Amino acid sequence: METNRLDTNQIMRQVIYALVLGVAAQIYFFGPSVIVQILLASVTAIIAEAVFLQIRGAKIKPAITDGSAILTAILLAISIPSIAPWWIIVLGVLFAIIFGKQIFGGLGNNPFNPAMLGYAFLLISYPVQMTQWPGEFVSFSQGIDAIFGLNYVDSLTGATRLDDVKTQLMLGTQISDINLESVSQLWINVGFLLGGIYLLLRRIIFWQIPLSLLLGLALMSAILFFIDPSQFTSPYFHLANGATMLAAFFIATDPVSASTTPKGRVIYGFFIGILIVVIRVFGGYPDAVAFAVLLMNITVPLIDFYTQPKAFGK
Amino acid sequence: MFEATSILSLLALLLGLGLGYAAIRYRVEGNPLVDQIDAILPQTQCGQCDFPGCRPYAEAIAKGEAEINQCPPGGQEGVDALAELLNVETMPLNEEHGEPEPKRVAVVDEDVCIGCTLCIQACPVDAFVGSSKVMTTVIAQECTGCDLCIPVCPVDCIEMVEIKTTVRNYIPDIAELAHA
Amino acid sequence: MPNSAFKGGLKLENPFPAEEIDLIRIPLPDKVILPMQQRIGEQAKPIVGVGDHVLTGQVIATIDDELCAPVHASISGKVVAIDEQVMAHQSGLKAQCITIESDGQDDWVDTSIGCTEHYELCTPETIYNKIRVSGIVGMGGAGFPTHTKVQLAEGCHTLIVNATECEPGITCDASLMLAYPTKIIRGIEVLFHVSRAERAIIAIEDDKPEAIALLKKYCKNDRISIEEIPTKYTSGAEKILVKSLLGIEIPSGKFASDVGVLSLNVGTVVAIFDAVVENRPLISRAVTVAGGAVKVPKNFQVRLGASYDYLLSFTDFEEGKHKVSVAGMMMGIELKGTNYSITKNTNCIFVGIDEKSTPVKAKECIRCGLCNTVCPVDLLPQQLYWYSKGENIDKAVEYNLLDCIECGCCSYVCPSQIPLVNYYQFSKALYRQQVNEKEQNDKARDRFEFRELRLERNKRERAEMMEAKKKALKEKMASDKAQKNIIEAAVERVSSSKSDTKEQDGN
Repeated sequence: METNRLDTNQIMRQVIYALVLGVAAQIYFFGPSVIVQILLASVTAIIAEAVFLQIRGAKIKPAITDGSAILTAILLAISIPSIAPWWIIVLGVLFAIIFGKQIFGGLGNNPFNPAMLGYAFLLISYPVQMTQWPGEFVSFSQGIDAIFGLNYVDSLTGATRLDDVKTQLMLGTQISDINLESVSQLWINVGFLLGGIYLLLRRIIFWQIPLSLLLGLALMSAILFFIDPSQFTSPYFHLANGATMLAAFFIATDPVSASTTPKGRVIYGFFIGILIVVIRVFGGYPDAVAFAVLLMNITVPLIDFYTQPKAFGK
Repeated sequence: MFEATSILSLLALLLGLGLGYAAIRYRVEGNPLVDQIDAILPQTQCGQCDFPGCRPYAEAIAKGEAEINQCPPGGQEGVDALAELLNVETMPLNEEHGEPEPKRVAVVDEDVCIGCTLCIQACPVDAFVGSSKVMTTVIAQECTGCDLCIPVCPVDCIEMVEIKTTVRNYIPDIAELAHA
Repeated sequence: MPNSAFKGGLKLENPFPAEEIDLIRIPLPDKVILPMQQRIGEQAKPIVGVGDHVLTGQVIATIDDELCAPVHASISGKVVAIDEQVMAHQSGLKAQCITIESDGQDDWVDTSIGCTEHYELCTPETIYNKIRVSGIVGMGGAGFPTHTKVQLAEGCHTLIVNATECEPGITCDASLMLAYPTKIIRGIEVLFHVSRAERAIIAIEDDKPEAIALLKKYCKNDRISIEEIPTKYTSGAEKILVKSLLGIEIPSGKFASDVGVLSLNVGTVVAIFDAVVENRPLISRAVTVAGGAVKVPKNFQVRLGASYDYLLSFTDFEEGKHKVSVAGMMMGIELKGTNYSITKNTNCIFVGIDEKSTPVKAKECIRCGLCNTVCPVDLLPQQLYWYSKGENIDKAVEYNLLDCIECGCCSYVCPSQIPLVNYYQFSKALYRQQVNEKEQNDKARDRFEFRELRLERNKRERAEMMEAKKKALKEKMASDKAQKNIIEAAVERVSSSKSDTKEQDGN
């Protein structure tokens, strides 16, 4: 086991590479519009970061090339509906970079996960656009039409599996009568899971957060499922649907906003997992990753304080 | 709307009572303010603050009779520390009282000393050793660098010498480590 | 079987692997420069003057401080200068040194004076004294005075001989083992006699099979065992070594002697043998010379005070502007040029070519936590970094800043290339300064208050004395007056009786 020396730029790049499989699955099922979103997001991120570094009087060169802004942009771009209008992603990225990162002092100083902050902002401010997901494969030209508002096609949109299930449950349907199958969701999650395993093997991320997150999520959903399987969906459903794997391996593992101590990371990940299920089931929004992560970000200083490792000889 | 107002008012009342109770029940007996201020002051006992020693100055600050920026040996750090302790805005060091200088100690030129003992009487921390008609010397570890002995010496044989940096008291410079 | 693995640390590749690690003896240097300020203790004061002729092994500087070992002349010759020379220290500061020019003779002091009894007949106190006057300090790099360490460990149960080599690339300990295996064994036996330890463990890393085999061959004492430990950086740190060999964790702020262990570097053990059995003080040591500019790494037995240039001249080195890393690539200090001298702590010099390269600018800390995973003391380096940067020393100390062994593992793995150890060195120095200042301030306050008290007391005593005098005067005056009255009354009586008599006579 030779110690591998990593560079911050390399870390960011590796995470971006690891996203490829999941994004490929997204494209396979829902079309290439997500690429457009990614491009829009990246350009906005770079410009926003450069402008703000200038305003802060900081040196532009090393900060721009470290890849963290692009990573934030990509994560946000793949979290929103791929047919959302162009100004959604632009606003979201601006908010994430400016209010999620730059005003705190740039890379390494933000208490909140910038991508999730951007997502939460968009979800609360523009609920309509943020809940109109592509129901089926959207071709490139259709996607361009939707994003740039040339020819809006209603028939494209639908709700996510989670949203659908939630609505039906609210209407009183029993779980056994709802169609829980979603091939697209499953494969997208598998894609991100594989990417995540790659990051674990390359030691870019540590096992504590993904494992404890998935455990917390599985545990909480298992408890609910055990209490009333007709009201609550199974752990498998929660693991295979929504942004679970993306959250576990790419979002919650953002080192800057996560806990810094080994024990603290386990607690942090675990409670994110629990909160995801709780907010999904009892909260007002279909997917809960953003809120769960942001809530746990707030508790990070407290967790860090109480989970200091015991130093040698103390 | 009436309900909302009354609920909030009731909450405010309850919480206020709770806070008041906590303030009395969990009161911490801390050091008197003067001791805390004195602990921050550098104990040079030089009088540049216009008070005859650090403790009188501390008492004056506690009574509100003096500003916190009158102590040059404490430097700007001292002013900032006092501001933090007293929970007030920090202010720039008042240059009228003198300028902060690096730590120095007094050294007596033994060939010139006439043994008049005026310096022994002047030193606020008794750092001189000597007697009448006998040569005087300074105990370097005890000297606070207050300069009070300089003007009283009739033959001008006392000099203030800066403390040298050696490998034992060297402090590395981290400004050059600052990142991009 | 003790568990020889420990948490943290780094598996590092040897940057300068050496085919041969034999200890090479080289001729006497032409001149030596010996510093008065050793790593630990007060600065020694020279007891010779410029122009004096000194013998090898003669004491040339000493000071009355328990933590200061005396300095000896490492060659015979003439003292040509006692002046300020540049120290091999990151500050680049100069300090007082004695320069001796060799007369080529290497005349030794008389090693037959002093205690020449066999050590088994000597009391421990005699042996401590022998170690002290021989100027022996920890040769592994820390430089703690050995006589104090051995004395503190009296009654310990285990002796550890640390032959693990400080860092990758250093092979001086191994070369010593290959050159003087019997000295090491006998040095341990001296220590057995002095400390009454029950057993000794020689700890060697597993990438030195020749040394291990040789020592096993020469060791016939079954109280001495040879322990192979996995090659991993910071296995040589004393606290870590004690933990991995014996499973004992030395409490923070305490020493190995507090848990009944005496741990010494193998070079120190050899020096103890030389001092106690052969009456020879510490005047030379083994040094590894390697680096990018040195084609083949070598180990030399060299007299203290010889210059780095002198050592380099015995290697096949690349010409050019040199820079040198003293004491290893992890904990070493980077210095420009090679104009420095070997001291008692110099275990290696890595000489490279000083190329013009843009210094790596550190990036922001991304809180990845890699530093904590490699810290052998299980600290939170990122926390210490933030507090050191903000000069919040109290908080840094709370997060165990003072337990940091400055091994450099954290700086090595940091993806943002932050020079973490430099920050800790800064904050530790700041802490020491703050502690000193506080002590000084408290003393000054006490003295000031006492002076005020004294002046008050003087005033009071004067006032009391005046009062007493006044009172005494009053009383005296009162009693005088009383006396006067009595006398006047008596005179009155006499004169009235006289006039009575006169009247009587007139009739």
